[in-house]
Parts: sequence; C-alpha cells; structure tokens
Amino acid sequence: MRNLHPLAMAVRLLRVTNTFSKFLTNSNQHLKLIRCYSVQAATNPVLNVPETRVTTLGNGLRVATEDSGAPTCTVGVWIDAGSRYENEKNNGTAHFLEHMAFKVSVDILSDILQNSKLGEEEIERERGVILREMQEVQTDLQEVVFDYLHATAFQETALGRTILGPTENIMSIKRDDLVKYIQTHYKGPRIVLAGAGGVNHDELVELAQKHFGNIGIGYDTEIPTLPLCRYTGSEIRQQMDDMPLAHIAIAVSGCGWADPDNIPLMIANTMIGSWDRSHGGGSNLLSRLAASSYDENLCHSFQSFNTCYTDTGLWGMYFVTEKGQVTEMLERVQNEWMRLCCDVTTFEVDRAKNLLKTNLLLQLDGTTAVCEDIGRQMLCYGRRVPVSELEARIDAVTVNDFKKVCMKYLWDKCPALAAVGKSNMRQEILMQSKKFVLSACIWKNEMTL
Amino acid sequence: MATSRMFVKVFRHNYKHLSRHTKRRFCSSNNTNDITTIPLSQPIPGFTPKYAVNTGNSKIETEVTTLENGLRVASENKYGQSCTVGILIESGSRFEVAYPSGISHFLEKLAFGSTTEFENHDQILLELSQIGGICDSQSSRDIFMYAMSGNTNNLPSLINILSEAAYRGNTLGLPKICQEANISIIDKKVLYTYMKNFHTPDRMVVAGVGMDHKTLVDLVRKYFIELKRPIWEEDSNLIDKSKHVDKSIAQYTGGDLRVEKDLSDVSLGPTPMPELAHVMFGLESCSHQDDDFLAFCVLNMMMGGGGSFSSGGPGKGMYSRLYLNVLNRYHWINNATAYNVAYDDTGLFFIHASSHPDNEELNRAKTQLQSMLLMNLEARPVIFEDIGRQVIANGFRHQPQYYYDAIGRVTASDIQRVADRMLNTKLTIAALGNLFKLPDRDTIQSMIYKHSNSFRQRFRIFK
Repeated sequence: MRNLHPLAMAVRLLRVTNTFSKFLTNSNQHLKLIRCYSVQAATNPVLNVPETRVTTLGNGLRVATEDSGAPTCTVGVWIDAGSRYENEKNNGTAHFLEHMAFKVSVDILSDILQNSKLGEEEIERERGVILREMQEVQTDLQEVVFDYLHATAFQETALGRTILGPTENIMSIKRDDLVKYIQTHYKGPRIVLAGAGGVNHDELVELAQKHFGNIGIGYDTEIPTLPLCRYTGSEIRQQMDDMPLAHIAIAVSGCGWADPDNIPLMIANTMIGSWDRSHGGGSNLLSRLAASSYDENLCHSFQSFNTCYTDTGLWGMYFVTEKGQVTEMLERVQNEWMRLCCDVTTFEVDRAKNLLKTNLLLQLDGTTAVCEDIGRQMLCYGRRVPVSELEARIDAVTVNDFKKVCMKYLWDKCPALAAVGKSNMRQEILMQSKKFVLSACIWKNEMTL
Repeated sequence: MATSRMFVKVFRHNYKHLSRHTKRRFCSSNNTNDITTIPLSQPIPGFTPKYAVNTGNSKIETEVTTLENGLRVASENKYGQSCTVGILIESGSRFEVAYPSGISHFLEKLAFGSTTEFENHDQILLELSQIGGICDSQSSRDIFMYAMSGNTNNLPSLINILSEAAYRGNTLGLPKICQEANISIIDKKVLYTYMKNFHTPDRMVVAGVGMDHKTLVDLVRKYFIELKRPIWEEDSNLIDKSKHVDKSIAQYTGGDLRVEKDLSDVSLGPTPMPELAHVMFGLESCSHQDDDFLAFCVLNMMMGGGGSFSSGGPGKGMYSRLYLNVLNRYHWINNATAYNVAYDDTGLFFIHASSHPDNEELNRAKTQLQSMLLMNLEARPVIFEDIGRQVIANGFRHQPQYYYDAIGRVTASDIQRVADRMLNTKLTIAALGNLFKLPDRDTIQSMIYKHSNSFRQRFRIFK
C-alpha cells in the first residue's frame, strides 16, 4: 500500500465515542509523490473543495474519498459501534477494544480490525492501563460533569452509561467478550473507510477490496438493533465541601444528527458561544452572555454545547462559577434561552449564521480533520453533505424558523442538570432549578399575556 | 525553529465572522419543499453543489519578496477557501534588556486594540464580523506574532486591519490600562520606543497561506508603505531616542530554581489526584541554526514520553524510551516528557539517553518526526508560522521536503554525538512543589555525567 508503509506512518487512535469507534491512520506519503495542485486567485469565488467519491463494496463496506492532491493524506476506518450498543453487563467493551487495537503490533488498519490476536497477556496489561485512565478522566471535572449529565438525562438507558464502563466490568471483561463484540458489530454495512488529501479513490477501493473484502455482511444470530434512549428531565448533584468552584451542566433534550432542526440548534449554540475570563469583553461580542459575564463577573467560564446521537441529543450549557454566583448564573442562562425563543433579532441570527459558516470552513483545515468529517458524516447521514449545501441550509434559516425551533426544544421543557461543587451549591441550585422548571411554565404564561 | 516550532498548538481562534448573504430556498417542482424541513440525510432536490476541479499543475513553493523598505513578504498558496495571513516580528522578551520586563506581554494584550483608524477593539470586532475573519496575537521569547484567518475573498480588508494593528501603533487605548498600580512603569513612551526599535520593517515578515503571492505583495505594499506610516514617525515626541536595538547573545549558564509550595489542594473533586511535585531538568541543546539541530529533534523523539495513563499508539511513541524505561516501570511517575527546548522528566532521562541507540529505534524516531512534521504542516496557522519563522531566520523558507530529507540523513553516531555534547553541559533544574527529597544540583549533575560510573548506585537516591 503506497501510503501505508509500516514505518512511514503514524497511527493515531482516537477515542471511542458513544456511537462510533474510529481508527485513523495519518500517513505521510513520501514527498516524491507530490502531485497536482490547484491554485485559486484570491478573488476567485469558486468553492475550492474537491468532490467526495463513494463506492460500496460487495459486503456493504463504503469507501469515501476526497482527493485534494495534497502531498499528505489521512485514511481512517469508522465503525457504527460504540458504547450505545452496550448493555449494563458489557459496558466498557468498545473502549477496551480501543485499547487493544494497537497493542498487537499490527501495521495496517485491516489487520487491526480482522487479525487482532487479543492475547490474554495483553488484555491483562491493558486492564491496568484503563483503570489508570479512568482515574485520570475522573480528575477532569468537565468529563465528570458530562458523565453525570448523561447518567441523569438518559437514566436507565445505554447513553446514560459511561464510555469507559464501571470498574467491575473493566475487571471482568474477558477475551471472549471482546471477540463477541467484534463479531456482532464489525459488519461491512456498518463500516466506512474514509480518505482525504492526496488519496486516489480507485486505488483505495482496490485496497479495501483486498484487505476488507472478507468482512462479513450478515448475521447468523439475531440482528442487533439500536436501543432506544429516553430523555428524562432530572438532576444529579455531588457536594464537595473543599472545592472553591461549582461545575454545572444544564441541558434539554436535543435532536439526532440528521434532523433538520439540527441546523437552527447549531446556530443557537453558536450564538450563546463559549467564553472564559481570559477572553475579555466588549459590547460587540456576539454572545450577550459573554458580554455580561465579563462586565459582572458572573462565572469563570462557560461553553454552550450541542451533543448529537443517532436519534436524540443534548443541547445545553456547561459553566464554572464561584460560590454565591450559581443562582445568578442559572437565571442568566435561563433568560438567554428564553430570549432565543422570543426576542432574538435578525442581526444576531445573521451574525451567528456567518460565524457558524466560518467555523465549519476553518475546521476543515488539514487532511485529518477532513477525513474525520467524511467518516462521521457517512455514518451519521449515510452520505457526504457538500460544504455548499450545508451553507445553503444555514442561509435558509430565517429568524422565525430559528425561534420556532428554539421554542420547540427549550420552551416549557424540563432540563437535566448535573453539578459538582462546594457545599451551599445544593441550596443555590435547589432554589433556581425549581424555578427553572416552574418558570418554564411561567414564561409561557407571561409571554402569551 | 522550523521543526521545533512545528509542533506548536494551533493558536486559539476567536471565531468572528462574516459576509452578507441572501436567503435561498431550493424548491422542487411543487414549491412546498422547504429546505429547513429536509433531513440532513437527504440531498436537497434541485440543489447542485459546487466543487473545484483538481487540474492545476503548479508546484507548491514559498515565494519571498522584499519590499523597498526591507519588509519581507512570504506566502504559499493552498487548496481551500480560507487563508491565514499575519506578521511575525523579531521581538519578544529576550530583547527587553533595556526596558521594563513585560513589554511584549503588554503589547500582546493590546494587539487589535485601538489604532488610528479604529477607535477600539470593539470597532475591529465589528469590522471583522462584517468581512469574515478572526484575529489572534501571540508573543514568545523571540518572536511576536499578529495573525488573522478568514475567507480568501476578504484578503484586502484583513490586510488593512493587520497593518493597523501591527504597524501603525495600537496603543492609544493605553492610558486606561496603565492606571493599574503594578504596571505603571510601562507607559506609552516606553512602548512606542520599544516598537520603534524592534518593530521595524527589516525585523518583520508578512507571511500568508492560501492566496496568490502577487496579490498579497500588492496589498502589503499598498497598506504598509503607500498609505501608512508608523505613528511614531509622525510624532517624534512619542519615543525616547536614547535607546537602541539590543543585540546581545544568549549565554547558557545552567542553574537551580526551586519553589517550595503546598500543592495538596490543586486537584480537588470526587477523585482527587495525588499531590505531585513538578521537576524539570535541562541541559543545553543547540540553536536552530546549528548543524546538530535535527539530530537533537530526533533524539527528542526517541525519548518521547507523555502521561502515565495512556501508553499511546505507535504514532504517539509507545516504543519511546521514556515509555519503555520510565513510565511503564515506575508507577509513581505521573508524567515524563522530553522537550527539545526544555527537558521535563524525573531524572532518568539522561541516563538512558547515553545508551546506544539501535537502528530500528532510530528509524522509528526519524519516521515519527517526519510524519509529525508533515501532519502539522497541513494546517494553515502552522504553515503560516513556519513560513514567518524561517524567513526571519534565513531569509527564505525550506519546504517540508528539505527537513524530511535532512531527518532521513541523521545517523546513530549523530545521536551519540549530540547526546555527549548535551551531557557535558551544566545542568539546569526548575522545581515546584514539596521538594525536600530532591537531591542538590551537584549530586544530580554527577549522576548524569556520561562518564560517571556510579550512577546506578546513586540512582537509588530517588526511591
């Protein structure tokens, strides 16, 4: 394989997410393979993006590439099989497999998927590493709060469980569990081989046929289905007396990847934005919350998020604030969300739309980013959404469309809340979260009056 | 510079945007198919996406033009619709000898603040939000940088703001900030004097990625030479004429700096981390102009390292010496990383660095460095900084191919030589935390001397 010479490559393993596993190989083709390069004048308005070519192999595996003629390329495999497909007993298996993937001295992706030996000794070694990783993750309070948020918002369902799995499972997962997981989920139609940069589509298809052609398509047993995940408005709080700050995430039920409402929710997410104290302030900041956080010292940092899964999602806000500011901050968040539903101006929506388009464009810098985007979209949407189409979809959202969607997801909804922090936070949140749910009803009454 | 700085983080962007647009609806024949109701999994009926045709034949290379006043303009075109453009100035804390320390940091905070054209930072943000673009400023020990990214079509406006920010003097907003008690020594005059001496055309490079070189040169000439002069040329009272450019050469001395501090409350939460002590050991390596520079980079790669919980993948260095010999063996080490500029580790680094590298290990490190070089040089902000730094140092830019080949030529004896060279320099220690068990500098120095034969016994002192 031209670009996967074992020594000439760096393999980067990215995290298993709730919905997928992904293996990315970023390889440097030797530079003598430098090829054509299209040059656009600064004033040329043509969207300078190559077309995505997609080929489906006999076993359902899809190969998708964008050939930009760059001297480097990234190739990655995406599998529709993350912790979402786990149950209480095998929760943590997908993540365990992530650890095993590169422990078996294999050189290329197909080997990793099909020929991993999964030796007992290696499994034992990784068990310790995963427990250590778990410790590391638990010191990152943002990770902790997001795990809690999922645990409460999707309680009793697969999305409520963590990616790493509980300690008992990490201790007890056996080779058979790993093999069974691979056999159940690594099927042709659920796998995408994506390539970006200087990658020739026909060549990659040929290689895919050779190396991945043997992966199975069907099931001898029952076909696993995507378990439904129900959202529950609820809250979870952990009181830590010696902590100086409170870390809080609040969210409402969002939409799935492909839902058309995702576009307005992305715009809303951009409009609230993110901020921390080193960013400064000013009245021309897009986010009003950022401007008032700066002026009134409301919080240390905040970050709006829009987390999507196949059929559901979480849309909300994570913030870190000091003692005594929790109530105030929650109230501001609530006011800002309320404003999205009723009071937002055309100017604000236009600015957020522009910012969102810029972000989308700037994110696609480098072959790794493009490859990830192709793989993710092929699994989430079943196709590659052209940049120009995405821009057209963003452009098409009017202020009324925007308000309507915000109303649908935010108005009168019971939020899910997760918090870790100092002692009197409990009371502060209690005061405000009751109001939050209640006031959702009150908003409605006040606003319709 | 080129390679060592290659691994810089892509700078934090403050995304701000953008252009006017019109509302479009793409309708199928019955006219009811609203684009906002079609799932993303389905294409929009009647919509034809735009793609570029990859037919060009041009070679990628960095072009450099020196303008009449000594200002250098260097750029490289790139596939894609966005561009990064900015200014790198040979200026930074190492030149602050004759000035109050902290000027560069001050200037960094004032970047994209008020200028003669824009009243304040807000005005610049507003302008940016209309033309589409983001801005950022960073100062390091030897380079000061203003950078902007945005849609290639808005290049002229980006250059205009850039020239305002970097060249015209951006310190009119200063009095407000200077009222703060601690920083009162630094005033407008000191800042302008510093800028007059160091922010001169011959110490600057305008670097760009993702645009036509001639277009960029024309725009730079227009905004940096024809239309504008530095503010201090118009009002000479703004500067102190007694100060000049500092040309002193850095002298490595070695040293020992320890700060005892109770770090037991740093990581709180449901599962707090154990209390850690942070120790850095450094030895002198070399400048990026030195012939041994790349050998040092390869050595750095061979040492590798990282956090103890993740043993990484092959590309992350799971076979590097710090993983194999340190992190995987001693559970109490939380993090050990080798840096080419500063070596952060737990004291074992140099002992292992002096053993003989085998060929497989060397090749692995070389390939890893090559691949890291190329992967990092995919992103516009990184290419931009690389162009700027290379042109400031050499007057031209080597393509990644040059370093790729040069890394390929590094041999085991080069590694041995640079390791020897490094091990014979004086040790520097910087430490923070609970340090009462840390041996004194002479003891550690004697342990790492290459010819010391007693380090195995002495090593026990760490346990």
